[in-house]
Amino acid sequence: MALIEVRDLEFHEHGREVLSGISLSIEEGQRVAILGGNHSGKTALARWLAGWLPAHSTVARSGSVTFQGQAWSELPLAERASAVQLVGQVPFQQLSGREFTVRDEIAFGPGNLALDPREIHRRVEHVMTLCGLDSLADRDPYTLSAGEQQMVVIANALAMNPRVLVLDEPTASLDPQSAECVWRVLSGLSTCTTIVLFDVSPRAAVRMAHRFLFLREGRFIADGSAEDVLLHPLAISSLGLPPTAEAAWLAKQEQVWALGVGTPFTVDGAVTAFREVERARR
Amino acid sequence: MLVAENLGFAYASQEPVLAQVTFSVAASRMTAVVGRNGAGKSTLLRLCNGLLTPSTGCVLVDGVDTRSVPASNLAKVVGTVFESPEHQFFKAQVAEEVSFGPKQLGLNHRQVTQRVTEALARTGLQEFASVHPLDLDRTSQRFVALASALVMKPRLLLLDEIQQGMDALAVRRLETLLSEEKAAGVAVVFVCHDMEFVARNSDDVLLFHGGQLLSADSPMVVFSASTLLQNAGLAAPECLQLSSRLGLRPALYPKHLVVSWRHYLSGTDPTKSDSEAQRERILKFPSASKDGEPS
Repeated sequence: MALIEVRDLEFHEHGREVLSGISLSIEEGQRVAILGGNHSGKTALARWLAGWLPAHSTVARSGSVTFQGQAWSELPLAERASAVQLVGQVPFQQLSGREFTVRDEIAFGPGNLALDPREIHRRVEHVMTLCGLDSLADRDPYTLSAGEQQMVVIANALAMNPRVLVLDEPTASLDPQSAECVWRVLSGLSTCTTIVLFDVSPRAAVRMAHRFLFLREGRFIADGSAEDVLLHPLAISSLGLPPTAEAAWLAKQEQVWALGVGTPFTVDGAVTAFREVERARR
Repeated sequence: MLVAENLGFAYASQEPVLAQVTFSVAASRMTAVVGRNGAGKSTLLRLCNGLLTPSTGCVLVDGVDTRSVPASNLAKVVGTVFESPEHQFFKAQVAEEVSFGPKQLGLNHRQVTQRVTEALARTGLQEFASVHPLDLDRTSQRFVALASALVMKPRLLLLDEIQQGMDALAVRRLETLLSEEKAAGVAVVFVCHDMEFVARNSDDVLLFHGGQLLSADSPMVVFSASTLLQNAGLAAPECLQLSSRLGLRPALYPKHLVVSWRHYLSGTDPTKSDSEAQRERILKFPSASKDGEPS
């Protein structure tokens, strides 16, 4: 049984079709990137996957989203919070709003699960170290930079020990070094943690995901490897390519490429690919 | 158009956010401001549009010291798009929001309507004219804020992370608008975390770290200074990293890299001939690149 199963999901908002005919199975431990342009329905789908839009909502919808065969609405809130966590684009909107230190803020979620205080302490210390937040433990989260706040939000999510982490453009407002720090933390998570990343740009996704889906106007257009999905003509026109892939694409047009050498999506991959081309041509 | 001299600023009883910053921006130049979160970039923009007053030094806009005139006067020549566009909206319809500025200029109804129509058309917002700005997605909100700035026909345009969250189509629309403004003589200063966007669009880069201006130079010079860049917590654009690792002529963006790659494979003299320069100009990627000369 898939960990998360979406079947024929239809979702309308303000009289507009946002998602249509969405079906998707996500297995435990998968690293999935769902990419789409503006107005493609990414944020709505992220919320559905994370159980934020309940079945009794007034919005028109059909289809189902289940976690291990159970609809989100059938799961008690505490179980849902332990099963899945959603990290959004704007960190300060996801902090508790209480006059907490960073340590208190991270402990807030596990504290609401009525866990043993020693277990809460263990989780908080573990995720603070993992996310590089030890030196900020006694700071007020609202005095931190956007990058530091986003790391606190990710720590909040990880402290819940979720089986699934849903990320909606988590590095959109971050500088490159802060974004790098986020990707390093996510890459280091246990392979048991399922990650679903939503993004408008493929640049970050290619570093983390093994499976890619392209969402356009509320429908999936492509599902597969980076090469299968990112080189889809509609994906190229609405998402663009990572710079290294674009360079390879142009090199093919200019006939300074070699048959059989794949499209590189990262700098490391591009170094290897361009060297292969050089060997093939000399 | 814009001059900062020994500029410094500190929020009340806190450490300085900016110190000893000196630079100038000419008309028809696109200047990127880069640095980590908290480096003082957004504060710099607020000093340039007069919303903040320098603690030390001064900012001159078109020769006028920002301390000597109210921010509302500066708004006639300085347009600003803030990082959170929803914070700058206060009207219930997009068209009303965009028309607020020109109405304050004493223009007649026909002139205001003409300017608003043009600004909405350029930003692709015609169909949203009667929509509440807060009902739009973030990308459309950024274009509403940009339309509200462009409608004033500013001579200096300040943009804070305007490309954030935009898909490739929206980025292309934005890049077209900015190049039109540049061609019309507007000085554009944009804060940006996306080094690929900076590489494609800037004539000059101001590199900030901890409130200090570390470097002010062309994108190629700033992004090639690897130690300085590393100290500032930034990374060079991917094509520059790639060209460096492959031993090619430095390239800031894909079409630039392919030209370097062709030189490398053919072993030709790296000095670009006229025909090669022409070839670089016509190399086009259908979606993610913009046409035009490399920086």
